Parts: sequence; C-alpha cells; structure tokens
Amino acid sequence: MLHSKNTNLKTWVTSGELWIWLNAAAVGISITAVGGLLGLIAVRGLAHFWPADVAAIHYESASGVAAYALGEVVETESLLLDQYRSATGDTDDFPADVEVIERSLIKTGNRRVDPPDFQWIYSHRIASIGYPDEAAVFERMEWGNAYGVLEKVLFDGSVVAEADTAWTEFHMRLERVETLREAIARIERGEFNTINYALEQIRIERRRLELDTTLTDAARERSEAALRSQTDALTVRYTLAETDLAALIEDLQRDAIEITISTGATLTIPFADVVRGWQPNRMSVIAKLKHYFFSVWLFLTDDPREANTEGGILPAIFGTVLMVLLMSVLVTPLGVVAAVYLREYARQGAFVQLIRIAVNNLAGVPSIVYGVFGLGFFVYFLGGNLDALFFEAALPAPTFGTPGLVWASLTLALLTVPVVIVSTEEGLTRIPRSIREGSLALGATKAETLFKVVLPVASPSIFTGVILAVARAAGEVAPLMLVGVVKLAPTLPLDGNFPYLHLERKFMHLGFHIYDVGFQSPNVDAARPLVYATALLLVLLIVGLNLTAIMLRTRLEDRYRGVES
Amino acid sequence: MMATRVELGTLPRRRRWVNSLTRHVVALGGGAVIVAIALIFFYLLWVVAPIFAGADISTGRVYDLGVTEPLTLDVNESDEIGLVFDTPGEIVFWQLADGQVKHRQDLGRTLKTVKSVYPDGATYAVVDTQGELNIMHASYPISFEGDDRSIGARIDYLFSDLWIELGDVTDFDVYYHDTDMYVAHLAGRTLTLDRYRDVEPGFELDEPRTRTLRLDRKYDRVLFGPRGQWLYLTDHNGSVAMFEITRSGQLNALYQRDLIPGTATLMALQPLLGRYSLLVADDQARLAQWFVVRGEFGLSLERVRQFTLPADVKEIAPEPRRKGFAAVDQSGDVHLLYTTSERLLASHPAAPGSRLSVISPRSDILLTATPDGRIHSYTLRNEHPEISLSALWSEIWYEGYESPVYSWQSSSADNDFEAKFSLTPLLFGTFKAAFYAMLVAVPIAIMGALYTAYFMAPVMRRIVKPGIEIMAALPTVIVGFLAGLWLAPLIEANLSAVILAFFGLPLVIVLLSLAWQKLPGSITTALDGWYGLLVVPFIVLSVWAAFSAGPVFEHVVFAGDAKRWFLNTLGLNYDQRNALVVGLAMGLAIIPSIFSIAEDAVYGVPKHLINGSLALGATRWQTLIRVVVLTASPGIFSAVMIGMGRAVGETMIVLMATGNTPIMDMNLFEGMRTFAANIAVELPESEVNSTHYRILFLTALVLFVITFAFNTAAELVRQRLRSRYGNL
Repeated sequence: MLHSKNTNLKTWVTSGELWIWLNAAAVGISITAVGGLLGLIAVRGLAHFWPADVAAIHYESASGVAAYALGEVVETESLLLDQYRSATGDTDDFPADVEVIERSLIKTGNRRVDPPDFQWIYSHRIASIGYPDEAAVFERMEWGNAYGVLEKVLFDGSVVAEADTAWTEFHMRLERVETLREAIARIERGEFNTINYALEQIRIERRRLELDTTLTDAARERSEAALRSQTDALTVRYTLAETDLAALIEDLQRDAIEITISTGATLTIPFADVVRGWQPNRMSVIAKLKHYFFSVWLFLTDDPREANTEGGILPAIFGTVLMVLLMSVLVTPLGVVAAVYLREYARQGAFVQLIRIAVNNLAGVPSIVYGVFGLGFFVYFLGGNLDALFFEAALPAPTFGTPGLVWASLTLALLTVPVVIVSTEEGLTRIPRSIREGSLALGATKAETLFKVVLPVASPSIFTGVILAVARAAGEVAPLMLVGVVKLAPTLPLDGNFPYLHLERKFMHLGFHIYDVGFQSPNVDAARPLVYATALLLVLLIVGLNLTAIMLRTRLEDRYRGVES
Repeated sequence: MMATRVELGTLPRRRRWVNSLTRHVVALGGGAVIVAIALIFFYLLWVVAPIFAGADISTGRVYDLGVTEPLTLDVNESDEIGLVFDTPGEIVFWQLADGQVKHRQDLGRTLKTVKSVYPDGATYAVVDTQGELNIMHASYPISFEGDDRSIGARIDYLFSDLWIELGDVTDFDVYYHDTDMYVAHLAGRTLTLDRYRDVEPGFELDEPRTRTLRLDRKYDRVLFGPRGQWLYLTDHNGSVAMFEITRSGQLNALYQRDLIPGTATLMALQPLLGRYSLLVADDQARLAQWFVVRGEFGLSLERVRQFTLPADVKEIAPEPRRKGFAAVDQSGDVHLLYTTSERLLASHPAAPGSRLSVISPRSDILLTATPDGRIHSYTLRNEHPEISLSALWSEIWYEGYESPVYSWQSSSADNDFEAKFSLTPLLFGTFKAAFYAMLVAVPIAIMGALYTAYFMAPVMRRIVKPGIEIMAALPTVIVGFLAGLWLAPLIEANLSAVILAFFGLPLVIVLLSLAWQKLPGSITTALDGWYGLLVVPFIVLSVWAAFSAGPVFEHVVFAGDAKRWFLNTLGLNYDQRNALVVGLAMGLAIIPSIFSIAEDAVYGVPKHLINGSLALGATRWQTLIRVVVLTASPGIFSAVMIGMGRAVGETMIVLMATGNTPIMDMNLFEGMRTFAANIAVELPESEVNSTHYRILFLTALVLFVITFAFNTAAELVRQRLRSRYGNL
C-alpha cells in the first residue's frame, strides 16, 4: 500500500502533471481575468440604466432617533463586528452569535436640498422597508435625481392637477416642455452659433484689411462698409433670436411640479429642470425594459450635463468617430503606398530590410511619444507656421497652432501607419510570383499588374490592417491628451457653418471621457455608473472592430484562396 | 532584357505614362512615409539638442552717457532700457538697442551708495553723502500708437521725497514686500533694524520701530535673508553671522561661522536668487556656494559646491530669475556659471576695470561700468544652463535640502524656486512599474502560451488564442480606470485576502492535480487538453474563498489590520494606488502581447522534434522543457522584450492607477511616476521651448530609444529563430 502510493507520487512528479496543471492554471487565470474584466464592465455598465425600485426605509439613526429614507439601494456589504464598531463608534451589545453586520448604501438623491445624496444604513437598525407605489424618481437637469411623491402640477403658480390626475398631466406637460426645450436648443446651438461664427469671421476679415498694406484707401473703405453692413444685419438677427429665446425661456418657466421628499418637506421643481419622471415600483417588467432601452438611447444621443457626470455622451461618440474616420482617410493611402514601395518597387536588400525592422519596431514605440512629437511638430511647428502664413489676421489667438482635430488625426495616422504597412506587406508577400509573372507575361505593365492583380489579391490584408489601425486609434488616449482632446468641446467640429468640417477645433473622445470623468470630476461616486457605461461602449466598439477584421480576413481569404496557394 | 525593352517601347503612350507615374508616385509616397517615420526621431533630437548646446558671451555695445563714477546699473524687465545712478546724483535711462538717452533726472544730491531693494525689482535704496536714505521706483510705461509700441521710462520716490536719516553707516540693506519694509544698517559695532509697517506707495512713511543690537565684533556687510526671515552679517575675513528676525522684530543670534579657510582672504560675496545661498570667492581662485540647511540642531551653513576659476574673482553678479551668476575675475575675464548643474558655461574677456556688473531679468544682457564712466554691454546666449548630465542623472544637493538627493520637481509657485530635473526617480519609477507588471505577466503569459500551444485541445485553442489576442487591443484607459477606481479600493479593503489568494491559489492547483490522479483514466484521457477550462471554476472558487476568509486571516496573521502590520512590522507605507495595483493591471494589459508571440514560437517548433523526443521515451513534460522550450527560447525571449517595451511606455494605466509621486522606493505598496505619465501630466502645462519643455522631450526621446532597443533586440532574435526553424 505504502509502496504503491510512493510510486504513484513518483510517477506523478516525473510525469510533470503538476507543472502541466500549473500551466493550465495560467491559461485559466488569463481567461478568468479577461472574462471577469469584460463581465464587470458589462454588468456595471448595463445595470445603471435599469429603473431600480425605490425603497422607503424606516430606521433608527445613529443617535437613536427614528428616521425615514427614500431611495435606491445601490449596494449591500457586510462588516465584521470589530470593523463596524471602529467605523461607527457604536458600543451597543449584540447577541453573541452576531459576527457580521450588514449595511446598505442608499442613493437618496435630492442633492442640495437634503444632503448627502448617498448614505449607509445598517440592517439591524431598520424597522421596516416598503416599496410604495407612489414613490417616484425625477431626473433633473441639475443636481441629480430627486426622490419623492408627486403631489401637484402647477402652471403659473396655480395648481392644475393633483393626486390621481397629476401623473397624466405631468406626462402631457413634459411633452410640451420637451418641444420648448428643443426650440431653445435650436436657437442656442443653431442660430446663435451661426451668428457668432459669422461675427468672428468679420472681425478676422477686418483685421486682415488692417494688415493688408497694398489696398488703396477707396478699396479699403468699400470693404469696410460691406463688413459694417454685414455686422448690422447680424446684430439685427441676433436681437430677434434673443427675443425669441427670452420668450421661450419664460414660457418654459411657467410649469412646475411639487413633490414631497423623505423629510416631509415640499420641493418645487420647475419643468425646465425635469428631464424625466417615473414610478419604478409601479412599473411592470415590460415597462421597465422600455424605460431601460429609452435610457440607453438617451445616453447615446444626449449631450453631457453636470460636468459630464450625467446626461449622454453624443459629442464624445461623434468626436471619436470623426477623428478615426479622418485618420483612416490619411493612413490607408500612406500605409499601402509605403508597403507597395517596400515590397514591389524598392530593391530588396539590407537597407530595405533595415527599414522593415524599423517600421515594425515603430508599432512598439509608446503612444505618448507620438503625442509628444505631434504636439511639438504638428501643433507648434506646422500649426504655428500655418497660422503665421494664412491666419495672421486671427493672431494672437491661434487657429491651427493649438491642439485640434486635424493634428490628432495626423498623430494617430502616424501612430497606426506601421500597422497598415506590416499587414499590407504580409498580404503582398503571400502573393505567389507566378501570379505577377502571369500578368506581366500577358503584356500588362507593372502598374496594371499592381492595380488589377496584386492589390485586389492583397485587399483582405489591407482591410485588416486598416481595421486594426482604426481599433488601435479608437482606444488611444495618451497622445490625444496632448494634441487635441478636451473634456468639454463647446462646438462640434462639424456644423452648418462653411466650411462645415472645422479641422482646427478641439473635440471630445470616449477614452478621454472615461479618464476625465473617472479621475478629474468632483463627484466620482455619482459619475461612476456612466464611466462604466462609456467603457462598455468603447469595449464593444473595439472588440467589434477587431472581430470584423478577423471575419473580413477569413472571408476575403476564402475568396482568393485559389490564387494564394 | 532586350525583349522587355522592345515590348515597353511599343506600349501605347497612356499606358506607359501611367506605369511610370505609378512608379514615381509609389516611390515618392513610400519614401515620404519612411522619411516621416525617421522624422519622429530627428525632430525629438532637434528639440532636445539646445539643452546641451552650451552658452556664449559676446561683446555688445559701449555706451557713453556722460555719467561720472556710476554707482548702480540695471536693466528693465523687457531688456530694452538701461538705468544708471551716478555719484553726482544723476539718473539716466537709455535704450540698449541704440544707446539713445530716454530720460535723465537729477536728484540734486551727491550720492554715496545705491542698492536694489530686496526682493522687489526696479526699486532702489539711495543713500547720499549726508547719510540720508530714500527709496525710488523705476517704471516703464508702455503705450501703443496703432500697432507701434513705445516704451517710456521714469523714476519716482516710492513713498515721498522726505529722506530718512541713517547717519554714517558702514552698510545697509532694505527689504520691502507687500506692506512691510525693513531697513537694516550697520555702524561700527551697532546693528540697527527699522521696521516700517503698513507702508503704501505714494504715502509718507510712519515712524519705524527700531531695534538695535551691540555686536561682539565688527562686520562690513548686512544682507536680508529669504523673505526677510533673517539677516546675514559678513566681514572681510569671510566670517558670517546669521540673526533671526522674529515676528515682533527682535533679533536673535542664530549661527556663526567662517566661510573662508584661515589662510585665504575674501574677494567677493553675493547672495544667489532667493538668498538661501551665498556665493563666496577667495584669493585662491575658488568660488564656493554655501547655503542654509535646516538640520537637527537648527540652521547651519554648508558648503555645497565649489568652482575653481582661472583667476581670483573680484565681483559676482547673480541672475535675477535663475540660480546662475556671472563672475568677473582679476585678469579681466567674465565667466558665466550655474549652481545646480555645477557648470562653468562660458568665459569672455571684459573691458579693463569692469565693475558694477549686472545681469538683465531675461538673462541675455550683462552690463558693466568702466572707470571712465562708460558702460559696456555683453550679449549672453544662455538658454538652458540648469542642465548637465550630472543634473539629470546624479544626486544633487538642492537648496534647503540636508543632503544630495535625486528629485524631480519641475515647478512651484515660488519665483525663487530651484527647479529639480533629476530623471533618475522617473527612470526608477518607469522600471519599477515595468518590473512589477512583468512579474505578473511573464509567468502567466509564458506558462499560458506553453499550455495553449502544446497541450490544449485544438478546438479550444482556436477560441482561446484569438480571444486573448483581442485583449491586446483593449484600450488601456479602460484597464487603468478599472485599476484606479475598482481594483485599488478593493485591494485596499481586502489586502489580506489578496495575499491569501496569492499563496492559496497555487496550493489549490497542486491539490487539484493530485486529486486528478485519483480519477479513472477514461475521464482524464477524455478531458486531456481541457485543463485550462477545468481550472477556471477552481480559480474563481478559491479567489472567492480567499475573500471570504480574508477577515479571519487578517485577524490571525496580521493582528486585525494588514496595512498597520506592514507599516509597523516591515516599515512599509500603504498608498491606495500603488505598485501592486499597477503590477496587476498593467500585467493584465501586457499578457496578450507576450502570450501571442510566445505561443507562436512554441507552436512553430517542428513536430518531428517533438515526436522524436516522445518516441525516445521522454514524457510530455520532459519533451516540453528539454526540447520545445529550448528550441523556442529565442522566441520566448523576444516575447518578453516586446512585453517589456509595452510596459515601459504604457501611459494611461500608470497615470490612473498610481499616485504619480516621483519617489524612489521599491515598496510594493507605494506608487511611482513614470516617464510616460510624467509627460502626460506636465507637457500640456509646459511653456514651449523652456528647459522644462525640452527635458520632457528628452524623456520622450529616452522612452523612444529604450523601447526601440527592446523591440529591435526582439526582432533580431526572432529573425534568427525563423532561420533556425528553417534549418530544422
């Protein structure tokens, strides 16, 4: 028995089974980490939009007074008795079998009225928990959610609906307010933006006239008169828009709701501040699902509010996509031409081999180095000189001599060009000589062979390279922090003012949004769910792009399988 | 060859044209991309180069302004206007560009001494031969006429035209800041300190509160220390005494010592910007920097560094904005020096008998006066004196420190701040972060690669490999955000559980493999190749178990508080965002890069080698270690190099998961600052073309070179591996 066990152990050691298991564990850890990471982001990112039930909790506060809280349970955790004692200073006796104390974090909202907006409540202090149907959540434009019971709907200070009819009236009025809000946004972002842009152009034009020494006095006078009349026209337009806006804002201020919050106080919220309102405890699963998808939709299509900690991320999505598109427009021809040159035209030798290694290695150079180069060379050197040559009138305010969209795209194009070169070259290498020679033998020139035969066959690799480049560019943040990204861009780089695409403007970016909201915002706790949601979106985007690259490669490979082998 | 030429010759013109156009465009485009890539390196180099360019002095103009025996020279803020006070009481402003006199004013008194008021620029304390003092302020109003900028010059009494009686003094100094003005003066053995409170320009001064002190010996000079906190008294033998000025205006003796060794004599003594340091020159051509160090036994003066010049120094002119100075020696040469970098930057012959040297605020003009009453200017080109190889990489004794240290501190709110540009803590931080990340990533990635390539079932491999590779594309900002906001607080709250899991997990695997032996052969054979998936639930379970048992474990092993235990027992301080968090997060981020290349290398080992080994009776494990790993080792090495390159240059994870403090400590529970994070934090705020800006570019260049070297090493090794496989 003993003997056999010994041999068993011995064979076990010599067979290396243990080591194999340890190696397997390494794979297991990788899989767990990857899965856990994605799962964590997915769960936290998606959970945020679910309309959680609102709990009404009667409990005893630390000072022994009966208290009442209304809010969502965010998380529950257990503490050892010691930890609990040192955290609260509570010296009460507990039954001998109590070892852990549970506590829940309640989001009670009503920031600025009833601080703090998050609070811990210990389970053993809770007298009762209920989920009253009438409890409601109101998402506000400012100061986060409000929790309470809708009592009245007011119009011009007088009550128009109460109790039962209040909710119907609420939804009706919200729709009206929604239209008003859209009209306001149209004026603020459309009309005002256009006028301001035009005025700025006139100012620059005027400065240009001043700087131009070749003009005759008469011509100068004529141009200035034209500018003056334009300015006057714009001023009139501005006044009109301002009047409209004032009227709309006044109209918006007329409706309000009155709610009772957990302290028993009444809180009046003007409709101008209300984004949405709902009663989660009354909602069915289907209603909740509807609400959920609507929340996701709002998140994707809305502008950020409250220093980016609430609202949507549309400008960040827009900025990321635009930047990446510009970058791929730049990187594709550059990468392909460079690869074709290296593989098809350059004389193969030690020098080309050296360049190939250098290009390969550039893919491993830290992205921040590209950012430094972009800031120094593109922004300050190229941009500064462009400004001095063409935008002298706008100086000292820089036009291109400051971080912006075009420089970010260029920097990322440079960062990702090795990816495209390497991938394209790989494709070109795999094309057998016989194909090229066949084409040449049929009388095609080298260029015709390239365009009609070589590039189509290599297209899967080119596409793959571009998609991988896009995926890399979409996730890069470090270089962008230096060359053009901002936490909040006042205007989108694409709008209705000529030339429509404003390459010099700064833009928002999903990755930077995560960094900024997660690490630079004053209320990280409140912002965290949105950061998870943004992270999820970015992960989906990048994993999606990578999967597309893989699928595309396989499909196109299948198509050209015949020629490749 | 012949045939080809004939064929091309018969091509239609358009086709021929397209063909040659394509060739040219491709060559041009390809060349341009390659040049653009090379440009990165050369541009960084071009920005960095000026910091090592050195300095020079060149002779400028000579101004004959008709002044007799000038007393003090100065240059205005914008380096356009010069100012001279002369003995007959005339003050002359002139344009440095063309020597044209801007403004002349006669005080109507014969002057004895004029001194700059400390620390305010453009304010002067004037004492006449009667021993009366007044304070004057020079201003340079700028006016625009259209686009033409013109600068004026005027000088006024700062308070009023009432002169203050000082008497026959040996020396005096004036400190004026905000609403306080101190006047210290020496007469024989008496030191007097007059304090004026609530002073306001344009208003007459109230009566001062005066303190006098009998000194035990004679001193020749009096100087205010930084922020008027203390007084330095010096004599011609190089002896220095320091007196503290208390809040109530009392004078307390603080410290006294000789700055010159017994046999030598003092030639010149000047405070450096900020007045923490005294520059002391002796008659043996030595010039030493002494500064105040706050030690265990209070303040003391320490000799921090010493320069040896070709001849004895007779005059020292400190730079008004930096810790550098000019020294004029007996042989008539002027030298530019810098303290922090310990450099003698440039030397140049000056006009004979030069004195009253003064450096302009922008440090690009030096003025001196000669006995004939003329004023000479010298142009200084001295952009980046604070940098030398030793200033970047060695321990430097900075002002106010007890001993030389490595320190990175690029800016401060103070004007008289000594910038600390040691790259050593950043290099240390970079490799500390990379080290811990590699400690996590290398074993997991390589062991995982071995298993995936050699043991894993092909079906599973087809999913696992691309799955892990896609993770290489996961934005590091997401990993960093999770590390900083989720992992760091989690580890802080469950430190003992993490430690438990670290030791418990391998134990669980050992037990699992032992238990596996007991299972019937049919099951183990069927599941062979799926171990990687089988262990996942055990990993999850053991981590969960470790977290549940964490508090108990903490109670038993760490007396209830792991963090306190580490601090008290091992002296390890705990920061929430630390190297452990970075190691785990960045380790996770670089696993895919290492894994992918290592897996390729292992998978590429020719099958006949493996089969041969197995046929000779080696077990799978023996074959793996002695044949496969050995053959693939260059590939594995190159994988590690690539991973190292990524870890060194990673920005976002370190930025978000550490506190970014540039400390030098291997402590696992404290943070670091890396090159990459430092660039991300400081470059947006840095002034273009300043020394700081160029140093940040230098760090980018260092990063570029380091990662390029790692990658090239990896690439060369990989190429050799490829040819080796080809031979096998």
